[in-house]
This record gives sequence, structure tokens and C-alpha cells, in this order.
Amino acid sequence: MVRANRPGVFAIGYLAAVLLLLYAPVVVIVLFSFADSPRLSLPIEGLTLDWYRNAFDNPLMGVAVRNSLILAVVSAVGCGTLGAAFAFGIVKMKRARLRGALLGASLLPAVVPLLVIGISLAVFFSALGLHQSLRNAAFGHILVCLPFVILTMNARLETFDFSVLEAARDLGASPFRAFRDITFPLIRPSILGAGLLAAALSLDEFVVTWFNIGSQQTLPVLVWGLMRRGIDPSINAVASVLMITMVALVIGSSLYGRRRR
Amino acid sequence: MTTPSLGVRLDGRRLRLGAAARPLLPAGAYYAVFFAIPMASLFVLSFWRAKGFDLVPDVSLVNYEKIATSPLYHALLVRTVAIGLITSLIVVPIAFTLSYLMRFVFERWAQLILQLALISLFSGYLVRIYAWRTILGKQGLLNSTLEWLGIIDQPLEFLIYSNFATIITLTGLLIPLAVLPIYSSMANISRDHLEVARDLGSKRTHLVRTILVPMALPGIRTAFAFSFLLAAGDFVTPSLVGGTQGIMIGNVIADQFRGIGSNWPLGGALAFVTMALVLVIYFAVIRAIRWVTTW
Repeated sequence: MVRANRPGVFAIGYLAAVLLLLYAPVVVIVLFSFADSPRLSLPIEGLTLDWYRNAFDNPLMGVAVRNSLILAVVSAVGCGTLGAAFAFGIVKMKRARLRGALLGASLLPAVVPLLVIGISLAVFFSALGLHQSLRNAAFGHILVCLPFVILTMNARLETFDFSVLEAARDLGASPFRAFRDITFPLIRPSILGAGLLAAALSLDEFVVTWFNIGSQQTLPVLVWGLMRRGIDPSINAVASVLMITMVALVIGSSLYGRRRR
Repeated sequence: MTTPSLGVRLDGRRLRLGAAARPLLPAGAYYAVFFAIPMASLFVLSFWRAKGFDLVPDVSLVNYEKIATSPLYHALLVRTVAIGLITSLIVVPIAFTLSYLMRFVFERWAQLILQLALISLFSGYLVRIYAWRTILGKQGLLNSTLEWLGIIDQPLEFLIYSNFATIITLTGLLIPLAVLPIYSSMANISRDHLEVARDLGSKRTHLVRTILVPMALPGIRTAFAFSFLLAAGDFVTPSLVGGTQGIMIGNVIADQFRGIGSNWPLGGALAFVTMALVLVIYFAVIRAIRWVTTW
């Protein structure tokens, strides 16, 4: 007999250890963003909001927040449209082989190290004479978010019932009308969910940004600069804010995807 | 009478295929312009030469020769591959065991655990690396706790600015990425498979080797690809927690693009040499896994 459902001590301990490995860093960052002393060690003596105040007094902070938000919106809209169209296209395909091959190809940028994507874009833009800027970084953000958007859109659209669409066409709806009145309202939650995912990925993107943005700032670029300079507790404050925003976006994303089931 | 109708139908099908491909075009074009062409440009650039601040178009192997003959680059490549392999050989078994537990032991909690793994993936790449510096540092959480407990009286120095720190940090970063594919490939293994094998007298290790691993192989392969390629290609982790002795090839490549004395063609050549090496080793390991599971 294979062991029955009841989890043993080993199983529970193992699960706890892995979750600790994944979440210890998160807990540490949030905890120390409120800790009184600049020395990052236990025990924590008092709580303070000074690091948050410090972080937002940084003159670069405003620009960084603005740029990060611009990139997040561009990624959400860009990946939402490109990714939804692509996923919709491959889900409709009848040949499973072709579908698998196209899906696999669309995931390629996720397996190539970000470093290589970052430098190849830098070379490409410089060959075109386009100076490093927020715009160059935005093109990079859409590229690195797209595979993940396609992957999740594909999973969500697999349950889409295409007979509704055929019925609309049979009743005389034009392709545009069928899309506007039938398809789009049905897949809108998936597109919104995928857009939120792209926004979260974009907020976190550092490597490709760093090679293409030149002297501009984003939140991760700012955090990187602070980290290189040494231990500064205001990093924990910026990081906590960033983290909570991203986690909220991801949870929102998975809730949107689920609503229609 | 059949031939014309067949022709029409074929024609119609071809038309439909054309229309069906249309939604793929925007993303396809985007990949072509911003992924394929840049990668190709980097490849072409790796055969150019850098002269001071100028790039000289050329078809020369000078950069590849430099890599082939420099003991420094060899040592860096070896360390990079070793760290990538060790990391993925820790990450994949951990993810495999976790997926097994999610599939067969914590069935009811599986979705929640999966969401937790996914959320940790979005708690910040830079931030999670930085956090390990706080945990593993000389006066960090781990050392101060161990001292407080009286287990050690000197801080453990190897915890931070070492290959150990790089591997631990990369492991934490990559486990969620490895769990997703392995867990989803275990979905098609049923309890019955395991019970039949058990009834036929299989031992537990045999069960893992002959049933679980082969059936989950597609997921294991993806997880291994993700963890090995991304670990070997990371430069942020070694530069934040690896210390001066712990730099990897990624740091050298990054410096060729955003450092003093940068050399883009050499950086491009290093990138392609590293990727080729990593791919060869990837296929060798996959071969080895398949061989072990089928002998």
C-alpha cells in the first residue's frame, strides 16, 4: 500500500523548511524596515518609520517611482494585447504539435539569461543609433514579460468555448462584431489578469533595464545603487513597498483569472 | 466530381489557416525585431574588434582566441558552470520532493502551496538577494542567533561573500521556478501507478527511479533548464553576496558593457561561449538522467 493521506512529521517538516527558505528573506526585509537601530541584527529594540521617511526624502525617489510606473503600464498594455492575441491564436489551432512548438518558441526569452537579453538589446539599439533611455528599457520590459503572459493566457484560454463564437458567426455577426460582443467580454478577465502579471514583472525587472536605461532611474535601479553603496536600512523600506505592490498585483492577477470558472 | 470539391476544400482550409495565423503576427514580429535580431547582432558583434572606444567591424576570431587561451576565463567558466550545476542539483531534487508531497501527501493544500511559491517569486529579485546578505552577514541574523544560542563563539565567516552564499541565494530564488513545471508534470501520475508498482514488489528507491522520475521527466527537464541556465547566467547574486573571490562569468560580461574599460565584442563572445558550454552540459545531464532511469 502507498502511504495514506495523513502527512507524517517528515513531510510537514520538509514543507516548513522549504517555505522558510522562500519566505525568510521577505520576513527579514519587512521586519528590519521598521527596526530602530541601523545595525541589522537581533534583537530588535524599537520600531520606527524613519527608514520610510528617509527613503522618500531621497531626491531620486520621485523620478524612480514615476519611471517604474510608466514601464509597468507600458508592459501591461503591450504584453496584454500582444500576449492575448498570440495565446488566442495558438489555442484555436487544431494541430497539437504546431501549438506546442509555437508555445515553446514563445517561451525562449524566458530561458535565455536576462544578462544576454539585456546586452543584446543594448547592441541592437546602439546599432540603430537609439541612445539608452526609458524608451529602450520599455521595449526590453515588454520582451521579458511576454513569455509569462503568453503562458498564463494560454492556460486560461484552454477552457474557452469556441462554439459560442461559431454560433455568433452563424447568426450573421461580422468577425469584428463577434470579437467585440462575444470574445472580448469573455476573455477580458484573463487579459486583465495577464496585464497585472506583466506590471508586477516589470516593476521587478532590473537586469535588462540596467543595460538599456542609461542614466535614468527606476525603483530597482535605485535600490541597486543603494545596495552597492553598503548597508542602508532605507533599502528595506523601499523594498517593502515594492514587494507589497508586486504581491498585490500577482494576487489580483490570479483572482481575475479565476472569476469566470 | 470529387476532385474539384477537394480542391475547393483545400483552398478553404488554406484560407482558414492564413486567418488563424493572423493573431500570432504582432507577437511574432515583436520577437523577431526585439529578440531574434538583437541576438543575431550580438553574435555578429562578437567577431568585431574593440580599438580603444571604437568598434571595428571585422570577421575575426580574436575575442574567441582570447577566451580560449586565457587561464583566467577558463577558471571563471569552470566556476560558473560548477555553481550553476551545484545549484540546480540542489534545486531540482528539492522541487521534486516538494512536488511529490504536494501531489500525494498535501493534496488538499497543493493549490495554496503553489500560490505561495508563485508569490515568493514576485517578492522582488534584488530584494531577496539583498535579504540574504542580512541573514548570512558576519553580524547577520544567522551568526548572531547561533552566538546567542551558544553554538558558536566566533561568527562563521564562510556564510557570506563566498560561493556558499551565492549557491544558497540562487537556490532560494530558483526553487519556485522549478516547482511549477515539475508539479504540473506530476499531475498525470496517479496513485494507482504507484500502488501497482508497490504491489508488484518495487522498493521505494526503485519506484522513484522507474516511475516517478521518468513520468515527470518533461517537468524535470524544464526545471533543470531554468535553474541551470539562470544560475549560470546570473551576475547580480555573485556581485552582492559572492565577494571578491566569488565573481562569475556574468560579472565579467556585465563589466564589458557597463564598466570601465568596456569591450562589447569580447563581452558578446563570452556570452556565446558561456551559453554554448551550458547547453552542451545541459544535454549531457539530461542524457544521464534518462540513462539512469532506463537501465
